[in-house]
Amino acid sequence: MSEWYTNDGKDSDVVLSTKACIVRNIKGYNFMPRLDDKECQSLLETIDKAIDKDVYVGGNASNIDKNTILKLTRLQILGREASQMANPERKAFYYNDDVSLSVAVGAGEHLTVKAMAAGHDISVYKKAEEAVLDLESKLDIAFSENYGFLTSNVRLAGTGLKVLYTVSLPAISKTEGGIAALSQRVGQYEWSIYPFAERGEIADSDVYIIASVNTLGVTEDEVLKRGEMLISDVIKAERALRDEIASSKKDQSADIYGRSYGTLRYANMISRSEALQDLGWLRLYHDYDDTGDINISWNTINKLTMDILWEPEAPTRKNSQSVASQKFRAQGIRKILKGAD
Amino acid sequence: MRCERCGKELTNRIIKINGVTYCENCARLMGYDRFLKDPSDLLGNPFSPLDQIASSLMQMSELDFGNSTLTCPKCGMTLREFENEGRVGCIECYNTFNDNIVREMFKQQGNSEYAGRLPAQSADTDVKTAEIPQEIKKEAPGKQKEIEVTEKNEAPTKEEQEKAPAGKSGKGLTLEQLMKADLGMLSDEDLEKGIKVAADAEEYKLASRLRDELKGRKEGEGNV
Repeated sequence: MSEWYTNDGKDSDVVLSTKACIVRNIKGYNFMPRLDDKECQSLLETIDKAIDKDVYVGGNASNIDKNTILKLTRLQILGREASQMANPERKAFYYNDDVSLSVAVGAGEHLTVKAMAAGHDISVYKKAEEAVLDLESKLDIAFSENYGFLTSNVRLAGTGLKVLYTVSLPAISKTEGGIAALSQRVGQYEWSIYPFAERGEIADSDVYIIASVNTLGVTEDEVLKRGEMLISDVIKAERALRDEIASSKKDQSADIYGRSYGTLRYANMISRSEALQDLGWLRLYHDYDDTGDINISWNTINKLTMDILWEPEAPTRKNSQSVASQKFRAQGIRKILKGAD
Repeated sequence: MRCERCGKELTNRIIKINGVTYCENCARLMGYDRFLKDPSDLLGNPFSPLDQIASSLMQMSELDFGNSTLTCPKCGMTLREFENEGRVGCIECYNTFNDNIVREMFKQQGNSEYAGRLPAQSADTDVKTAEIPQEIKKEAPGKQKEIEVTEKNEAPTKEEQEKAPAGKSGKGLTLEQLMKADLGMLSDEDLEKGIKVAADAEEYKLASRLRDELKGRKEGEGNV
């Protein structure tokens, strides 16, 4: 199983990934909260027949082994919440070769199609749309002329589309009022921004999700266009601020950059939070380091960031902070950086 | 004041049950007809016992909006469950709880009309990944700053301030910086100062851009 997020992506100094999620429900079945087990089995079978087995592997979640679940979590198909795998007999997951395209059944709505790409890449929408169109041609989809595609969660009714950019913003985060100003800007586009953290977790990095909000009153095209305008602004602002910090505080920035690399490269134990902070500094000063002493690519920085962000262990759970866990994390980072050297 | 159920402007009677304001029509639809008797009918009747009014008021306070008997005939979901969870149980719920769903949609998105594609039809979109010039990132350190920043807990030292690029006037931004700046990242104060700087330099186009940005923010605040 290859890892889609290790591909070289555009603007990957700021944008870690671009995702498009489209949800759909099938006529004749209650939505998930009101679907009894017998109906649910019938729904899973109906969808299984419609899934193109030349494109996807996977199936009922109760048949997926633990290692695959961990892999699918790291590859961002599954959330890190343990509840994602509650009632596995009521869920199914299908995914393509590089796991950049997936269909989740029973995860909130009947169908959740997700396309993902490394960096800034809005072509994920077309990829998700193609997969959805294929399913729409085979299944009787719940649709109303007034509300569009009908969903259990009424906030998704309409296009059922969410576009999400995962961005790392060390310079904006370190700038006083930076995130507040950005939030205001994002709101002007009727999008939202929130720190990378799942329910009950502590936000412990400078990674944020910028996500579309509206599914009614806008076309898919408008959502995508607004998203592209917004993300361009975000990228420009982050780069300008990195430039500002790197030049106005060159000595301090260079020092922290070197220390951060040293910690990541040689630490025997490292907490998730420390590793993410260090990676934030590497990201901030990477393009300004003119010593040539540190050799690390954007690809490696991004891989490490995503590996740590999507560790199956959540930061609030005790075992994520345990000695064994910190040693295991540090060992993984050292191995990758040694390879990069 | 508006009805919290249908959103209609309340012009005639205001009915408040357990803190929720309804118009007369909605209160009737919600099954609260018995409370719609005009209080003046009771007060105007010299034989109306005061305890009848009192018991009427007591009953109203005991009412619970979520206890409404409104239930989806197909899946059995109640209005209370929908209000609590924000999820519906089946397609029929969209008819059963239509008013509440529309209200929720308005609250979240400011719209309840569908504008997207039809099933099995591709969305008409030609959006491509935006090209973002790399020059900002690639420029060598020490180039002219675009936005004034102060790092958290790390105010620039006096020495650093002295080394700051020429052309930066005190706490404000220079005309050149304003021209290059991403206006969304500027504070309201910077925008106000910027308008003056631009106007003094007779850069009226820039001044109007700054003014529009500031105006847009103020209008945005008003809508919240």
